[in-house]
Amino acid sequence: MVNIIVYKWDLLNKLKISENELEDLLFNLKSEVKPVDQDHLEIEINNDRPDLLSTPGIIRAIKGLKKIELGEAKYEVKQGEYSLKVEKVETRPYAVAGIVRGINLDEDSLKELIQFQEKLHITIGRKRKKVAIGIHDLDKITSKNIVYREVQLDYKFTPLNEKRELTVKEVLESTEQGKQYGTISVKDGRTPAIMEDNGSILSIPPVINSEKTRLEISTRNLFIDVTGTSLDAVSATLDILTTNLAEMGGKIELVKVLSESYETWYPQLKHSKMKISSDYVSKKIGLNLTTESVIEYLRMARFDVSKVQGNEVEVIIPPYRVDIISQIDLVEDVAMMIGYQNLEPSSFKLTRLGAATKLTTVTRKIRDLSIGAGFTEIFTFVLTNDRDIEGDYVKIVNPVTVDYTVIRNSLIPTTLYFLKQNQHSKMPILVFEIGDAVIRGNTDTGYLNSTRAVYSIMDSKVSFEDLQSRIHQILYNLNISFEYRRAEHPLLIKGRTAEIIKDKEQVVGIIGEVHPQVLEKLGIEYPIVISEIYVDRLIGENL
Amino acid sequence: MLSENEIKIVEYLKSRPNKSATAEEISDSLGIPLSSIYSLSQLLKEKGYVRLEEKKLTKYELTDEGKLRLQRGMPEDVLIKTLNGQSRKISELKELMGNELEIALGWARRKNLIKIEKDSVIPLVKDYQSPEVDLLRDPSKINDNNYKQLLARKLISVKQETALILSLAREDITVVKPITYITTDIIKNHEWEKAPIKEYNVEAEPPFYPLAKKHFFKEFLEKLRDVMINLGFTEVKGNYVELEFYNFDLLFQAQDHPAREIHDSFMIEGKGEVKDLELMNRVKEMHKKGWKYEWEPNIALRLVLRSQTTAVTSRVLSSRPRPPIRTFTIGKVFRPDSIDATHLIEFHQLDGLVVENGFAFRDLLGVLKEIFYQIGIKEIKFKPAYFPFTEPSVEVYGKIEGLGWVEMSGAGLLRPEILEAVGIDSDAGAWGIGIDRLAMLLFGLKDIRLLYANNVDFLRNFRG
Repeated sequence: MVNIIVYKWDLLNKLKISENELEDLLFNLKSEVKPVDQDHLEIEINNDRPDLLSTPGIIRAIKGLKKIELGEAKYEVKQGEYSLKVEKVETRPYAVAGIVRGINLDEDSLKELIQFQEKLHITIGRKRKKVAIGIHDLDKITSKNIVYREVQLDYKFTPLNEKRELTVKEVLESTEQGKQYGTISVKDGRTPAIMEDNGSILSIPPVINSEKTRLEISTRNLFIDVTGTSLDAVSATLDILTTNLAEMGGKIELVKVLSESYETWYPQLKHSKMKISSDYVSKKIGLNLTTESVIEYLRMARFDVSKVQGNEVEVIIPPYRVDIISQIDLVEDVAMMIGYQNLEPSSFKLTRLGAATKLTTVTRKIRDLSIGAGFTEIFTFVLTNDRDIEGDYVKIVNPVTVDYTVIRNSLIPTTLYFLKQNQHSKMPILVFEIGDAVIRGNTDTGYLNSTRAVYSIMDSKVSFEDLQSRIHQILYNLNISFEYRRAEHPLLIKGRTAEIIKDKEQVVGIIGEVHPQVLEKLGIEYPIVISEIYVDRLIGENL
Repeated sequence: MLSENEIKIVEYLKSRPNKSATAEEISDSLGIPLSSIYSLSQLLKEKGYVRLEEKKLTKYELTDEGKLRLQRGMPEDVLIKTLNGQSRKISELKELMGNELEIALGWARRKNLIKIEKDSVIPLVKDYQSPEVDLLRDPSKINDNNYKQLLARKLISVKQETALILSLAREDITVVKPITYITTDIIKNHEWEKAPIKEYNVEAEPPFYPLAKKHFFKEFLEKLRDVMINLGFTEVKGNYVELEFYNFDLLFQAQDHPAREIHDSFMIEGKGEVKDLELMNRVKEMHKKGWKYEWEPNIALRLVLRSQTTAVTSRVLSSRPRPPIRTFTIGKVFRPDSIDATHLIEFHQLDGLVVENGFAFRDLLGVLKEIFYQIGIKEIKFKPAYFPFTEPSVEVYGKIEGLGWVEMSGAGLLRPEILEAVGIDSDAGAWGIGIDRLAMLLFGLKDIRLLYANNVDFLRNFRG
């Protein structure tokens, strides 16, 4: 999700609608609106629709939704005299360029154009790694022959917002953009550059443009370069940019792009065709739609559509609709044009009986018994830190805080931490939790969840038996056969620790008094008895 | 009806020869604070058990000098002891007795214990103990006749005090001890017929009791489970550590999608495996065709903490089940974030899946409407949305009293590309509901962290 800020009155005046109506229309185009100030709105755009990242794109879509214009918007396109020669650039091999003439910029639309460029960088451009854009004042470019090639880092030019010439190296080290994007495409002391054939640099993709071709309110004609690592992506980005500018009233002029592997005119404004039947649309939405109405809705979605035969139609996909991958994407457009608010939800039909997992059923039973035994249920985090945890556990590679760096392999540490926090509460404190720990296991990830029930009592005086008598009754009522066997545990007192054994062979839990040394290390001043039961191992024939 | 302490006082008075005692004596003997004895006396008087009388008493107390003399003896006693039957020079005695000698000589002469010739003191007795020391030892022997000399010698001070004297009002009184606890013996021996049962202050607040109760948020999760089961869904579960393949790739999330950057999911070291190579290949083809890039199997095999319960749905799909299917899962998911009143790094989602022939978008809306109705959200609206694995996609907004419309769920029909990859020839819908924030709103909590409060008193006091 991306947010853009737009000049409100431009939208309202061009569409002749109220702010409330705009809000409703945008809601139906997947976007939420928030007022910024009395002149500006913040609009949330979904990642699949980069063509809506600027006001002209939004206007184009709403004109369809409001049936002011139907079918694809047509823009004037002609071949020009400019060329872009693409040489070998290892780190960003692809470059294309296009020209838009006759744009009228003011302060707001200039700001929005730069915002459009930035938002495209973030979304389709994957933070300039995949695609980077340079927009220039065409009239400040002196040569018609532009070249994309690698230059050495000591190459000099005046970057945007500077008064003097710097080497590329200095630009990468001293400017904000240089620090942020400087490492993306530099390799072996060379960087990609868009320059005139006379050697004058226009931009250092994906970092910065030159001051020489800076955009101003007086700028009327634009030269746009797009570079990147995917030819599809750079080509689509140029299509989106130039068509949105054309929607503002500009005229698209093609640039001849010459490379070893491709030689053609850009922007390509490549249309694709897709066939779809009204039966398919009807079946997917769950409505009976006529072929005529499907055509109408698709035209509202700004597609040119023609009838093929029967209920089948052919849809022309405009170059800027990068989200249309298959027929189902057209179905969504039809649904949106009908309006989700007009789609009556089908009445719910119960088809068969539902069921809980065995683990859920058993967990519910244990929870009931635990309450009967006098324990209050607690709910702690699965993530914890490695200070108090023992044995083998899963570490997070990229934790966000020192408090949560690992996944617990037992519920005992998180319960002890809970008790530590409650030493000033009224005693006795009897608590339990049923939750998951993560342990190593024979799965396709090498790890698996292990459901545990942990019980503990903290009081000014408490003993093994106080807890054991309760656990005993819980296990007895679960109808399993069990006994206790003397055991040792790093946190528990030797001689006051037992394992709980099911069917004379399987360890299903541990119970014991927490060692005073452990309590002291944790900063706990009250005695604690604790028990952990491995719930998943209890499940068997009788349970 | 007498209280326990009142009974003790009456019994004590009965044991005294003249059936009376001062409040002070009672306090000392029974170990009850004097202030309590005063108030109990009034109660006993009102109930007719005792008479009260105030008596002025003269009380003699030893001064510091008195206490010193009790210990050492009077100066004249010391002198006689020092002489030990022999006459000695005054100067010699001065050295032994210091300033005390003057007083000693004065009193010894007055008491006719010595005579002085020239510079020598001649004892008239061999040993002597002043009667004053006896009085100091037992001040009760001090009376009007002998106190004046003690007072003159600053050995005692005199105090006037008012003593409260309690006397039993009736000789024949018998006190029946009331029953506090009803015991087996009391019931069996019919003691409840012989003694009254003590009344309690039944209107007072009781002491604290540590009630055991279920956690309100766990109960909310169970309620959601029941809603889904009642709507005919079968529960499935998955593990927290997950392959990116199931968390992202199978769900048509491109490998360079922003959600897959390192700050958007918790990464775990190591690699997993996908045994179904055919499925791997189909997913590869799906990505290549849909997103136009080279799909990298090694990225898909990386481990993450699942960032969406859709990973569980993804596992269900990958098992290539035969429709019709209705499943759901409720569980924890993990996402890096800064923790505050509305953000957690681990929270819960409910994911649902329907695979049925002819399952249309409107059917999906119908299922969502029913789920939210059962949760208690009666008014919802639908907004078009974008998710990589569904199309058409929808966001569900629910109306919450006092808050307005709140985003609650993301849903949609599963993309045909995904169904094709897992080899399911049917229609399918899926959705995810964020649970924690919904619970927070429904419980009226201001801070989402309270769902996991490390505070037992909060849990004891919370009435969900």
